[in-house]
Amino acid sequence: MNKRGGIGFYLFLIIFVFLVMFPFIWVFLTSIKPPREIFSSFSWFTSNPSLDSYEAALTNRPLVRYMINSFAVSALTTILSLVFASFTAYAVTRLPIKGKGLILGLVLAASMFPQIAIISPMFNLVTDLGLRNSYMGLVIPYITISLPLAIWILATFFKKIPYELEESAKLDGASPFQTFRKIILPLAAPGIFTTGILVFIAAWNEYLFALTINSDDAWRTVPVGISMYQSQYSIPWGDISAATVIVTIPIVILVLFFQKRIVSGLTSGSVKE
Amino acid sequence: MKNKKRRGFQLSEKQLGYAMVIPSLVLVIVVVLWPVAQSFYNSLFDYRLNDPSRSQLMLSATIDLERYVDNHFYIGGQLDSLLESAENEGEAEAVKEIQQDIENYHSELISDEEIREKVEEIDDLLASFTPVRDSDLKYSKVDNAFAEEYQNVLESHAAALAEIAASSNDDPSGQQFQQSSDLLASTASNILNSNFIGLDNYGKYMKDQRMWKAMGNTVFFTVISVAFELALGLAIALLINRAFKGRGIIRASVLIPWAIPTAVAAMMWGFLYDGQSGIIAHYLETLNLIPGSSWLLTTSNGGMFSIILADVWKTTPYMALLLLAGLQTIPQSLYEASSVDGANKFQQFWSITLPLLKSSVLVALLFRTLDAFRVFDLIYVLTGGGPANATESISVYAYKTLFAQQNFGEGSVLSVIVFISVAIISLIYVKLIGSDLFDGRTK
Repeated sequence: MNKRGGIGFYLFLIIFVFLVMFPFIWVFLTSIKPPREIFSSFSWFTSNPSLDSYEAALTNRPLVRYMINSFAVSALTTILSLVFASFTAYAVTRLPIKGKGLILGLVLAASMFPQIAIISPMFNLVTDLGLRNSYMGLVIPYITISLPLAIWILATFFKKIPYELEESAKLDGASPFQTFRKIILPLAAPGIFTTGILVFIAAWNEYLFALTINSDDAWRTVPVGISMYQSQYSIPWGDISAATVIVTIPIVILVLFFQKRIVSGLTSGSVKE
Repeated sequence: MKNKKRRGFQLSEKQLGYAMVIPSLVLVIVVVLWPVAQSFYNSLFDYRLNDPSRSQLMLSATIDLERYVDNHFYIGGQLDSLLESAENEGEAEAVKEIQQDIENYHSELISDEEIREKVEEIDDLLASFTPVRDSDLKYSKVDNAFAEEYQNVLESHAAALAEIAASSNDDPSGQQFQQSSDLLASTASNILNSNFIGLDNYGKYMKDQRMWKAMGNTVFFTVISVAFELALGLAIALLINRAFKGRGIIRASVLIPWAIPTAVAAMMWGFLYDGQSGIIAHYLETLNLIPGSSWLLTTSNGGMFSIILADVWKTTPYMALLLLAGLQTIPQSLYEASSVDGANKFQQFWSITLPLLKSSVLVALLFRTLDAFRVFDLIYVLTGGGPANATESISVYAYKTLFAQQNFGEGSVLSVIVFISVAIISLIYVKLIGSDLFDGRTK
């Protein structure tokens, strides 16, 4: 379908992008209104923009701390699962072992398990290990989500690397692990990086484990921290809009920089090539 | 020489393969399979974190040795002083009998070598006011029949002492009797009966209205939102499956809703829906599409509508991306050939696009259906399951039972129900998709 779009097509695109982005636009416009105006009018633009809401969002709750926590937990999770997953994906796609179908089936099944069925024993385990309100206390349960995801995506990337290179390395006398480290890993680096982005986003967005395991305010992650802005009595929409803008900016940057990679990673697991 | 080297190479390649797979397998077993099995096991118990007599999984009767030893220490002294203050023969007789009974049962209890050792160790810890942290030391299994007997004896003696206290005219001595009665009763409660109840929890939930309502909500939410996402996602994918300027902008704007945390999206939509300052609530009311601006979050239908709209907004782009990738794998030549044969766009869609897109659609549906069925954060943050549980999904109900009520037994039943439902859904899809799921991964 190599047809080119006419004016109607571009009009449709503009409307589509506007609808998708509307919540962000509105939340951003709200965040720069003076707090009084938020509750009194529905006008789009304010005549005297202010940064009061941003100041309140950063001082009323430890938003920066939430972001540091989220970053630490997601980065640790990503590194750990990439290491284990790249080994497994390599073995499953390129080494002569038995039970590959079984292993991949197990991994796929594990990725479908509902977190709610894992949470209570995991909560007990983390409590017994004394890891509640710590980074490791979240990294361990996050492995349940990230490891199957990483193995699944990496397997497709490894599969695409031509076999000839490996064969010639073998003939040159490289040991299997050398082949993996010197030949496959450098070639798979873009795929591993893409997988890393997806795992990082998945860990950054996780809510249920973070809510139950790190209940101390100083150890909360961004999703949980944001949802705690509303109190029983009042909902500070100004603070919430500003906080939302602040935590969305890193994601927007990530998406803008790596959109092609993200799309290739997302679709690699679902499309036959 | 070369041959020999090659054979050694093959063998170690295999070994390396297993060595590389094992760490991940162990991790998956420890963090995924074991917890699910444990959830099944927990669901067979009356297991509550906030009730000391049921905060352990006890297949047989168990004694809380820490508190038992502590209580037993005071029983001796209290009964002795009761003997002194006894006002008549009858009372003294009764107290003596109690002393004798407790002495007998206690020595029977510590006739078990293991229990005696534990009792001595706990005695030392208590003497130095150290709490017992090791639950293996704190709890000990005892014979079911013995536990029941000892408990009954302690309870009946407690009742007897309470009776004496009630009939006593002399206040101070009456109080003394009452204290001892309370002590015996509390000792009785340190002997814990097994809380294994088999499938009783399941029986309870099969009859639980709220469970069926939550299940209904979950199924409704899943079917409606996934159907909308598929229809809209397919339409968008078909429309943007062409070369045009500004693909990057479209791709980025489509990815951002997918990439932000669901909880953050839920907070944003909560603001847009708000009855007082929410812009969407305001516009919908002005357009007379909804009865009032507060309809969205304070009525059952409004709540469900709000959740579905937010979910469709967040995940349709993802669906469109997956389908677009599927569309791009369809060879252009097929369309050209059918054009030559005189097929129109609609016929092409039915006979080329849909059949070739089938596996992409099914895989996208599989992932989306499972995600939707497990929905937690969106509902928990946006409506909290309200109003009046009208939007409560089964995961939200399970979470509330597990962590708000601290009822790990019943909560686990709900988790297991989610697990089984998800397993059934996956099996159906995997059957439909067939072996395509593994193509391109194993050799």
